[in-house]
Amino acid sequence: MRLKIDEVKTDIGSIKNLEFSIGRIIEEAWAEPMGPTPFPSLTTLREWDMKLLQRYKPFYAPFCDLCCLCTFGKCDLTGNKRGACGINMAAQQSRIVLLACCIGAATHIGHARHLVEHLIEKFGAGTPIDVGGLNVNVEAPITRLVCGIKPETLGDLEEVLDYVETQLTHLLSATHTGQEGSNIDFESKIFHAGMIDHVGLEVADIAQIAAYGFPKADPDAPLVDLGFGTINAEKPVILCIGHNVIPSTEIIDYIQDNGLKDQVEVVGLCCTAHDITRYYPGGKIVGPISWQLRFIRSGVADVIVLDEQCIRSDAFIEAEKVKAPVIVTSEKNCMGLPNRTSDPVDAIVDDLVNGRASGALILDPEKVGKVAVEVALKVAPLRKKRKALPESEEIIDMAYMCRQCGLCRRACPQDLDIPLAVAAAAQGSLDKLAELYDACVGCARCEQACPVDLPVHSFIIKAGERKMKEEIYKIRAGRGAIQDVEIRRVGSPIVLGEIPGVIALVGCANYPKGGQEVAEMCSEFARRRYIVVLSGCAAMSAGMHKSEEGKTVYEAFPGSFDAGGVVNVGSCVANSHIAGALIKIANIFARRNLRGNYEEIADYIHNRVGAVGIAWGAYSQKAAAIAAGFWRLGVPVIVGPHGIKYRRLLLGRADKEEDWYVYDVRTGEKVYVGPVPEHLFLSVETKEEALVTAAKLCMRPNDTTKGRSIKLTHYIDLHKRLYGTIPEDIHLFVRTLADIPVTMKDEIIEILKEKNWTERVIPDPTLLPRLIRKKPA
Amino acid sequence: MSMFADIPVDVGVIYEGERIRWQDAYTELGGPRVEHKFELVKVRGMDEVEDGKITIIGPDIKDLEKKSYPFGIFIEVAGKDLEEDIEGVIERRIHEYVNYIEGVMHLNQRYDIWIRISKKSFEKGLDSFVYIGKVLQRLFKSELPIIEKIQITFITDPEKVKEKFKEAMEVYERRDARARGLKDEEVDAFYGCTLCQSFAPTHVCIITPQRYSNCGAISWFDGRAAARVDPKGPIFRVEKGEHLDPLRGEYEGVNQIVKMKSGGEIQRVWLYSAFGYPHTSCGCFEAVAFYIPEVDGFGIVHRGFTENTPIGLSFSTIADSTAGGRQIDGFHGISIEYMRSSKFLQADGGWERVTWVPSVVLERVKDFIPKDLVGKIATEKDARTVEELKQFLVARGHPIVKRWEAKAAEEAAKSMAVAEEAKQASPTAAIPSAIVTPAPAADLTVPVGVGAGSFRFILKNAKIRAKRVRIIRVKEK
Repeated sequence: MRLKIDEVKTDIGSIKNLEFSIGRIIEEAWAEPMGPTPFPSLTTLREWDMKLLQRYKPFYAPFCDLCCLCTFGKCDLTGNKRGACGINMAAQQSRIVLLACCIGAATHIGHARHLVEHLIEKFGAGTPIDVGGLNVNVEAPITRLVCGIKPETLGDLEEVLDYVETQLTHLLSATHTGQEGSNIDFESKIFHAGMIDHVGLEVADIAQIAAYGFPKADPDAPLVDLGFGTINAEKPVILCIGHNVIPSTEIIDYIQDNGLKDQVEVVGLCCTAHDITRYYPGGKIVGPISWQLRFIRSGVADVIVLDEQCIRSDAFIEAEKVKAPVIVTSEKNCMGLPNRTSDPVDAIVDDLVNGRASGALILDPEKVGKVAVEVALKVAPLRKKRKALPESEEIIDMAYMCRQCGLCRRACPQDLDIPLAVAAAAQGSLDKLAELYDACVGCARCEQACPVDLPVHSFIIKAGERKMKEEIYKIRAGRGAIQDVEIRRVGSPIVLGEIPGVIALVGCANYPKGGQEVAEMCSEFARRRYIVVLSGCAAMSAGMHKSEEGKTVYEAFPGSFDAGGVVNVGSCVANSHIAGALIKIANIFARRNLRGNYEEIADYIHNRVGAVGIAWGAYSQKAAAIAAGFWRLGVPVIVGPHGIKYRRLLLGRADKEEDWYVYDVRTGEKVYVGPVPEHLFLSVETKEEALVTAAKLCMRPNDTTKGRSIKLTHYIDLHKRLYGTIPEDIHLFVRTLADIPVTMKDEIIEILKEKNWTERVIPDPTLLPRLIRKKPA
Repeated sequence: MSMFADIPVDVGVIYEGERIRWQDAYTELGGPRVEHKFELVKVRGMDEVEDGKITIIGPDIKDLEKKSYPFGIFIEVAGKDLEEDIEGVIERRIHEYVNYIEGVMHLNQRYDIWIRISKKSFEKGLDSFVYIGKVLQRLFKSELPIIEKIQITFITDPEKVKEKFKEAMEVYERRDARARGLKDEEVDAFYGCTLCQSFAPTHVCIITPQRYSNCGAISWFDGRAAARVDPKGPIFRVEKGEHLDPLRGEYEGVNQIVKMKSGGEIQRVWLYSAFGYPHTSCGCFEAVAFYIPEVDGFGIVHRGFTENTPIGLSFSTIADSTAGGRQIDGFHGISIEYMRSSKFLQADGGWERVTWVPSVVLERVKDFIPKDLVGKIATEKDARTVEELKQFLVARGHPIVKRWEAKAAEEAAKSMAVAEEAKQASPTAAIPSAIVTPAPAADLTVPVGVGAGSFRFILKNAKIRAKRVRIIRVKEK
């Protein structure tokens, strides 16, 4: 806008040669005052990070002792050595973690950008962001908190993405040789990467919820099919793998528009599967990402559509082996296939059906929809006669060739006793191989290691085929956000000590002993009336197990954000709703402003909201970034044993009393609150350890006596049940006698006496001196 | 040493949610299939109770079969600080404590109890009421130290249950009559609760006989019991002090304690009004009373209502405008039970000022609404907009309509006077000062003609270049 006034004279004033120009006008209806840190840069929240890092010091577990990123190297960094650039081991480890988090954040942000651009093109920039109708007032809690803006339409999300992309570029540049040198500053930047990752997650999910009409914060989202056994293999089957649902929606639209709903199966693996069922309850989730080889080799898919993220690099090669045509759809994952985007549909279909091409890159999602369905309809009758897996007799014959060298077992990340199972097969029994089926993560490293090239992974799949076909489960489709009213409803039971905490079971499927443990943790916490939220592959694994009554956790427990609820929020990007719910608690109960007010809200969550994340099978860089976003909010994250390979933990020291002081907002005094929560990021070895640790990490300084009592009840009870002993550190968590669990009074009082315990005050806690209440004049 | 080492099954809070299905049950006590069942607590004199005594009238657990039995639990307690008033509070703990026992499920309370004992726990040795009695006695005495002596009688003999059942029903009736009839004026103290401060640090709930806690979970009797049991705890006694304003419900003692416990954030509270200095709203109130300026009355919306109210806002939005331990004029977080109180919004006209309530809530409180108002208060079925609401109120002859007429007459008289004065003063909108509408984002108007003070400005050769201009709607004052 431009305005020029040469001369004006009026009663109240005069103007001469006024030039007035405005670049952009934003009408703002949001009355909330702007907080101190809208659109924070790399260092804006550094002080907050330092507070956390002072308490939760990084513990480095180098996965590799060398740095080989530049041509000065390789440099040996063991002991106190520094590399050619001057970097030491601690900085190098945190640098790699930052790199991983940048990769993870870039993946989510790139995904978000692609979604937003596509959805604006398809539905218009003015499409309103509605994620929960009247029950959700705060539509984008993370974006409000970090950016200080309130997005109302798809178009508004572009500004948010501009910001996160800029931050990401700066963060990535900090990992260049000769940039950041301090491990603690790398750590602060890791937190920053995590925070912008969460913004990216939120943008992606609210955009797709709003535009595609996914369930809108619905506790009663439909129960949908889960598991290999739910696939009707008589019909043409289209298997979509990845995370970006755009091509899948076009497949579904094409099927529905052409009346083919009952004739074609659309099934998915990994997060695309979640989002398929959020879009179309007739879609099916085959299973978590780690099992893609299993499902591809089963031969059930007539067409395989790949989008982006967590897809095996050899998916196309594996698909070729079972003669399943592949369509790749993402610029980020072209798999060396020819670009057929501009070719006529019929030509592509013809080539794929007649085997002239075994795959095609198609970057127009609508075209993907047509091609995938048409190819599936045509190739299915030809493919159904083929067998994909070796027959049992063939396995027995091949097993004779095994030299029992044990290399497969050494290569196996789960240390499965493959040689024993193959030996049993050579004797004619596939039972041992079948036993491996559940714990196998599906990486097929055994095959790569085998000196006689036995298709060991296929052996396991064939032996477990019956189990695979019996995988028939239900999962509640990803519901998206948590309603504001649901958060209000749990306020009173949380302070009255009826809900011990919020447990988030999230992440990928690199489980130490198979997915069943996730299901067991889920029902254990739900039975104990925790609020359990799930997402991604963990949400699938939790559903792939039935109770004695034959019910999955989604059938046994309600889908509401409430005591004993089991809440599937959806795909990876839906993790934003878990962080979002925690942020909304501060807004809803304390009426703290969210707008650009990150530090205060993180301080609130860290000191008050008893939430813990368990990423039992976390493997990816995306999972690292998501965890980092929770760290900056002060939310503890537990990972399974493979998680140690993320190279560093953030551990508190319960024995250092000075680390556990907070300010009491009411008096300004420093108050010892005990080690709550004790750690910010740690890896544990067993399911039992995860259960006990998660229960312990739910404690917070603000707990009411009733709240603390119920949290201690579960911590002690789990410890007793799973370890057979009473925990040694109870005295650190009992502040007043009223904190002691009702049914354990006598024994705990005895312990307290032994430890010379004294009563302490329960403060109104904060780590930020500026929040101390000013004495009224 | 565990408190329950001599009990054959485990005792712990983790069994609270345990459900025992019929096929897993060893036996059933009470429940829908039998007419007579009860649990009752009576406060007795110190020498009337033999501490630790457990009596079983009728067959014990080991002599029961898999069917439903009439059943009674009769608990007598004594202690020098015990009063009849908190019998009900003690009685409700039976449910909680019985559920702590592994393999015992307890549902409901009073004349409605339903208990199942699992086969598994019976097989582990839970074959006598003596064990259940011991658990109850230990938990009661450890959790409520004001109970100095406790004796428990379990009754399974159908005749004896029937006999005692009648007595219990009379006690419940007397107790309810007292609870319903108890007036704020008749007690010397209220109770305060700061449990919600762990999330809303400036919120202080004041609980009186006629005003339940906002969350609906704590009555004055509960408060009284809790304060006695744990005097240093988050629920405490509030001396009423001088009754400064009987109509609005302002008490000197309440003001003092609220000021202290809110760290000076809140200075005064009017317990029975939504205007001026209303009670603060935490985050977990069951419902909100909101002022609708167009009808000069209140609407009420509760947590479960998922549509828009006639003012175009949902529960979430309305709740958001008052939550967080703040005092917001005309927006008032309340419990459902408070709507049954005769002090309900007393200063503002009580139910006569209420114009719109979701049908579910209206159904729950209808017996407590003045008879002549029945059918005159609109629900979502009658009115979805303010216009429809107005029409409904007029058509049904809601008493609020008379208020409009009176007000209109008053306004007319006032505007005559204002018109006279306006010649000297600058005109401002005549909005009653006590009523400030929050900012419903959808239909606010940008104030026009504000700033009538006189000034001159001169701009010469000025170049104003703004990269970005934010236009922010301001709240109408």
